[in-house]
Amino acid sequence: MNAPVQAGATGIGAGRSPVIVYEDVVKRFGAFTALGGVSARIDRGEVVCLIGPSGSGKSTLLRCTNALERIDGGRILFDGVKLPAAESAARKVRRRMGMVFQNFELFPHMTALGNIAVGPKTILGQSLDAAERRARALLDKVGLAEKADSYPSTLSGGQQQRVAIARALAMDPEVMLFDEPTSALDPETVGEVLNVMKHLAQEGMTMVVVTHEMTFARRVASRVIVFDHGRIVEQGPPTQIFENPVEERTRDFLGHLGWSG
Amino acid sequence: MTYDWSVVWQHRSALADGVVITVLLTVLTMALAVPGGLAIMLLRQTRIGVVGTAFVEFFRNLPLILVIYWTFYVLPILVDVVLSPFATGLLALSLAVSAYNAETFRAGVNSIRKGQVDAALALGMSWTQLMRIVVLPQAIRRVLPVLASTWVSLFKDTSLVSVIAVGELAYTSMQIRAQTFRVLEMLTAMAVIYWCLGYPQAKLVDWIHRKYGVTE
Repeated sequence: MNAPVQAGATGIGAGRSPVIVYEDVVKRFGAFTALGGVSARIDRGEVVCLIGPSGSGKSTLLRCTNALERIDGGRILFDGVKLPAAESAARKVRRRMGMVFQNFELFPHMTALGNIAVGPKTILGQSLDAAERRARALLDKVGLAEKADSYPSTLSGGQQQRVAIARALAMDPEVMLFDEPTSALDPETVGEVLNVMKHLAQEGMTMVVVTHEMTFARRVASRVIVFDHGRIVEQGPPTQIFENPVEERTRDFLGHLGWSG
Repeated sequence: MTYDWSVVWQHRSALADGVVITVLLTVLTMALAVPGGLAIMLLRQTRIGVVGTAFVEFFRNLPLILVIYWTFYVLPILVDVVLSPFATGLLALSLAVSAYNAETFRAGVNSIRKGQVDAALALGMSWTQLMRIVVLPQAIRRVLPVLASTWVSLFKDTSLVSVIAVGELAYTSMQIRAQTFRVLEMLTAMAVIYWCLGYPQAKLVDWIHRKYGVTE
């Protein structure tokens, strides 16, 4: 399974330092090939949106990035170092990446504050006081200062996802991975989550975002990568992807979404 | 036929002692079998999980009364340790209930969404941390109604240790029956006492079901 290196995989962002490098990454689930040789790089400070049809491998690539899924071929470099195979070593790398899930996955038995403070307290060994002080600051940052003592079940989807973003940020990650962060939300709460993400991008956070929100991708992304059938079809700045897509399949995909350029 | 209910009153102090032993046996068994069940459930998730599986399948598929007899007659021969009847009964009940609790906890853990584990892993938690902080607190809360039901069953099943002469309520009642030949009175008294103690516990279980039962 030796796919040629994708055009632009190494040429974009010259002069900046890569945080994540994918080299011919292959992932199979049984007989199904989810990733059929993906090569790409994410540079520091970039906001990269992964788009494409369902089942095209975007989410799988994201889950491989922090070793929630193990790859079957190729390699992934994080900060220049190959993702380790051993679970205990992978854990150390994982701490440097924040992840936000489609279904929020807040811990239902903890308050919003508890959800955010639990990582720094148990994993980074911060004092409860320090962890909670930071958690309050982060809640304020995502606009939920008054919800510190609320349990997830009492929060709206948009509020839960903002808490989940704060929980990931509490670990001071170098990269934030977003796995369809707005797909499970009511339309009226999508905006508040995207706003938080936009602010994060403006602060210079490196972000990899799997999304179906084309407007967000177009406005916020520094680069867009289009997936289909486990491969990268095309990548480039949003203006290229949305206005002048080179590849027929990109045009097809955007056309199906009703995107008119 | 004449009834002589005074026999119950005459032996009230022995019956009260029996009740104390029954309650004590129930409380101590559960105190051992909850951590025991947790430990076996966790053991089953490790490389030597087959040991835990064997334990569960062994005790789950034997009649409790056989386990009690076996612990009383066979175990002392095998390991050369002689326990008091109370300790023997406690051990047998704890082993059997641990096996049941292990299955209960396993069901609870399996009911937690995989996404919760992903979220804990993504934060950088180890398996031990994610079990302790994320999965078990949710799983235990979820299986609380089942544990409560096990408790009530256990309360009644403690009567089985009467076969090895542990002086709990059933054994005491039977002894008095044998001495006084007041079969109807003693069996009725025993039934009334078990029922009066069991009913509030069953109601408590119902309440726990309502409060902690999974509604999502």
